[in-house]
Amino acid sequence: MAIPVDGSAAGPSTSGFTALLDAIRARHFAQLADILDTSELEIAASGASKPQDWPYAVHVLAHVVNHDLNSARFVWKRTPVSVKESSPELVAAWKIVQNMWTHDHAGVYKALKGFDWTELVQPITGAIGDNYSTSMLRLLSTAYSTVSVADASGFLGLSENETVTFLTQQHGWVLDPASQMLTVRPMSTVSNKKTDSSQLQNLTEYVFHLEH
Amino acid sequence: MDVLDQLVTQVQALSGSDQDVAHLYTVLKQADELLHSHATRLGYCLTALNPVKHSLGYLYLLEAHTAGSMSREQSETFLGLASTFLNSCAPEQIRLAADKFNNICRRLKEQAMHLHDPMRAILPLQAAIRKLQPSSEFLTAIHADFLQMCLLSKCYKASLSVLEDDIFEIDQKRTALVPRDFLLYCYYGGMVYIGLKKFSKALEFFQHAITAPTTSLNAITIAAFRKYVLVSLIQNGQVPPFPKYTPAVVLRNLKSCVQDYLDLANLYATRNIADVKRCITTHEDVFKSDNNLGLAKQVIASLYKRNIQRLTQTYLTLSLQDIADTVQLDGQKEAELHILQMIKDGDIFAAINQKDGMVSFQEDPEQYNTCEMTQRLNNEIHHIVRLAKKLTWVDEQVSCDHAYLSKIGRDRPRYEPEDFELVPQKMYTNL
Amino acid sequence: MAMDGSENHVRGATGTTPEQIDVENYASLYTGHTKIARLHFIADHANSRNLELEALRMSLDEIKKGDNTMLFKECVEKINGRLGPGYGLDQEWIDTVERRAAQRQEKLEMELNGYKTNLIKESIRMGYNDLGDFHYARGDLQQAFKCYVRTRDYCTTSKHIIAMCLNVILVSIELGHFVHVSNYVSKADQTPDVQDPVVLAKLKCAAGLAHLESKKYKLAARKFVDSNFELGSNYSDVIAPQDVATYGGLCALASFDRAELKSKVIDNINFRNFLELVPEVRELIHDFYASRYASCLGYLQKLKPSLLLDIHLYDHVETLYEQIRHKALIQYTNPFISVDLNTMASAFKTSVAGLEKELAALITENQIQARIDSHNKILYARHADQRNTTFQRVLQTGSDFQRETRAMLLRANLMRQDFVMKGGRKQS
Repeated sequence: MAIPVDGSAAGPSTSGFTALLDAIRARHFAQLADILDTSELEIAASGASKPQDWPYAVHVLAHVVNHDLNSARFVWKRTPVSVKESSPELVAAWKIVQNMWTHDHAGVYKALKGFDWTELVQPITGAIGDNYSTSMLRLLSTAYSTVSVADASGFLGLSENETVTFLTQQHGWVLDPASQMLTVRPMSTVSNKKTDSSQLQNLTEYVFHLEH
Repeated sequence: MDVLDQLVTQVQALSGSDQDVAHLYTVLKQADELLHSHATRLGYCLTALNPVKHSLGYLYLLEAHTAGSMSREQSETFLGLASTFLNSCAPEQIRLAADKFNNICRRLKEQAMHLHDPMRAILPLQAAIRKLQPSSEFLTAIHADFLQMCLLSKCYKASLSVLEDDIFEIDQKRTALVPRDFLLYCYYGGMVYIGLKKFSKALEFFQHAITAPTTSLNAITIAAFRKYVLVSLIQNGQVPPFPKYTPAVVLRNLKSCVQDYLDLANLYATRNIADVKRCITTHEDVFKSDNNLGLAKQVIASLYKRNIQRLTQTYLTLSLQDIADTVQLDGQKEAELHILQMIKDGDIFAAINQKDGMVSFQEDPEQYNTCEMTQRLNNEIHHIVRLAKKLTWVDEQVSCDHAYLSKIGRDRPRYEPEDFELVPQKMYTNL
Repeated sequence: MAMDGSENHVRGATGTTPEQIDVENYASLYTGHTKIARLHFIADHANSRNLELEALRMSLDEIKKGDNTMLFKECVEKINGRLGPGYGLDQEWIDTVERRAAQRQEKLEMELNGYKTNLIKESIRMGYNDLGDFHYARGDLQQAFKCYVRTRDYCTTSKHIIAMCLNVILVSIELGHFVHVSNYVSKADQTPDVQDPVVLAKLKCAAGLAHLESKKYKLAARKFVDSNFELGSNYSDVIAPQDVATYGGLCALASFDRAELKSKVIDNINFRNFLELVPEVRELIHDFYASRYASCLGYLQKLKPSLLLDIHLYDHVETLYEQIRHKALIQYTNPFISVDLNTMASAFKTSVAGLEKELAALITENQIQARIDSHNKILYARHADQRNTTFQRVLQTGSDFQRETRAMLLRANLMRQDFVMKGGRKQS
């Protein structure tokens, strides 16, 4: 899982990023953060400093895509100032975290769209954008009964026209043209309520425990 | 033959069977002074030893070799040697000399800090903990240092691999730790959990620190209690009374050391945001110098949250303006943002009606009938059953313990209630 | 009773109606010390100069009938010449009374000493009693208290004991020592063969006052509503039957549940006699029970100014009123699934916004199980979901158990290893 780091040489080892690249290509974003965290510790333990091409932006965003802003924040905090100053992509990634942290929805979309992400990072920011608009749509539909078109478009990162079209046509919301207010149609959530035999097994064990 | 060469040969010869290693241990203990007097020459001897095969000997030599102060270069070499050793040594050998092992770990930490690279010590110390622990339930002296390195390098998550193990066993003989190691483990553990915003776990750790047996009030306990007060307010809205097993010296002297914090807690109970804010501003210097200003600010945020939650118990619908007025927020928009965030975090269940400027509060939709909930209940029961089994086992151990039996005397029945003062009463009724 | 208690509080609450009370009528209900004390209380708390002077005038007239020269001087000082020359410092009267008193005191003390040397029990008792009466009349309550208490050792019959208790109670009420009141009421209660309904009623009233004083309104109410109507004006040096009705009625409303109110107050034939004396209280109790809250609150509002001039009740008026109002609010919402706040607000003579605040407070204190629809101004009853609550509690108990057990196991090991931070101030 971890990047094999050559203990003696501090230089970048292109092969070291294979696992990382594989994970990004396969869109296994859940593993990204772990791979990088572990690898960071291993490099540190070897006494080496991070290679020149250490993917700082990916490291921050890997936590964001896992909905772990707190860890993303710590990655930023442990990044040396010199790196922050010389990596516009890292700064752009951090901007996303900041906006999420302060719940500036429109700012998040702006930060996502406002940078020309490198090939390595693009799939991750793409996924973050998709996740974000999905979760914002879910939040809109649970937290509001009526909401202004202007606010909704901020949540979704769409223009007001796009927002109206998207919400009325795809989700059955209703627009009151006079007040420019949308009436929300709540999403139906499906939850699994079936029981299976393993639970019966569990129950048996508990009863056994209680009796002995 | 040189005396050191002889020793190296002995190490090589006696690193096989348990018996040999035990013998080697006595040899090395006797040779310890000699080793320290030849500290500088030991570097050469170390190359003749294999850290995996000759772990005990390697440990003694490395320990003696690096006892003095180090140059930058030496310290690099030491960190390299120590990291490799900690990663690869044989646990059953090094456990014979836990004190020496701890010295190496402590030195590793100190050197990493000296080089301003605390992250460097994380993995070696983590490996070291595993080597020294007879099981994951044992606390070692290395735990606290490991956590401290995680905190300093801001690798909070990295600490979880160790921190999430429940610690039950404190064994001075086997892990050579002192009470201070335990206190620091609790304190740093609590701090990590604060960083990860797992406040209830943080409280558990701080409470251990506050209630740890002691004959004098010490700085760690005071610092832990300060954070405990703030985190309690954030998590529960109040500071619980001390458990009855809290040491008398703590009960007696702690309060006077933390008056600012208790003032804050008292004001918090009145739920008046303005008073709480004023208190934090007045005592800002104190909170800042205790490194608690960030937490203090979270206390304010939690009071907003709690005041809004109270409203949900009282109202079905309430206007945003009324909410803003009641909880002292700056206008409708501010109230809406707070409500929105709380809905997102699952703190309340509500729907905002922007058109009318109203919020309607709903009941928790959880019906406790989903598979996820069943799974959660199962997990909980599973944990409790495991814990209950452990409890039974410990109970049996105690019942057979000589010291215990001689203390309670033979003529008294074995299960006098007061002998179980430490045991929460629930234990017997619940299971 | 301490008269300086919460004057500000009282002043703040009074001042609405010009004539709070018909003093003459009021004073005619009482005799002895309480009459003077009550008049002084009114003078101190009156909201008009007329009322104050009227009370002081009647008080001085009353004082002059007795031997309390200290009080006379005090009262004259308060009048401060405002009632003309007839109400000035009558030094001649003072001198006469004091001379006579000195002689009498000497005589009584000599007699008592004589009885003591001869060890005549009954005479000693009477001697102390006379001396107690003397000090009481002179206004030296501490001495009077001591003398009355001393008669205790020389009591030979139940009647003596009761007389002793009643004397001590009388002085203690005036001193504001209500602990003594309770003690001597129970001493009297334990005395065998007391059947005199008037005595029993007096003891009930005294106990009621003691409970009222310690804010135990439910216990006070029970004592008052149980007082026998034969009390009549026999206890006018302490309490009038009108007071029994008012104190008892208000305490009962504030503290009894519906069933108790019905059985112990409304259906209580004996207490009904008292209530007939104060029709407003009778009416407001009936209004409350019949859920006519507007009318009930109206009566209460009308009564308030005069209650604030009552020496025993004034300190409790706000609390009792608040509790009665809460009870009314709770009782009003109780049978409904939903309540229109507009209707309710008019029933309680308040604004919808004000009502919302009151209800919110009661809901927060879990006194009303409901939630407010502030948008549509409707209160909805809320029924706890037993099943969900149980699940929540189970999860909570489970996690508490785990946490406590972990702490306990860890701690057991710390103790076993004698793992104690020792001595010295270790700084980290």
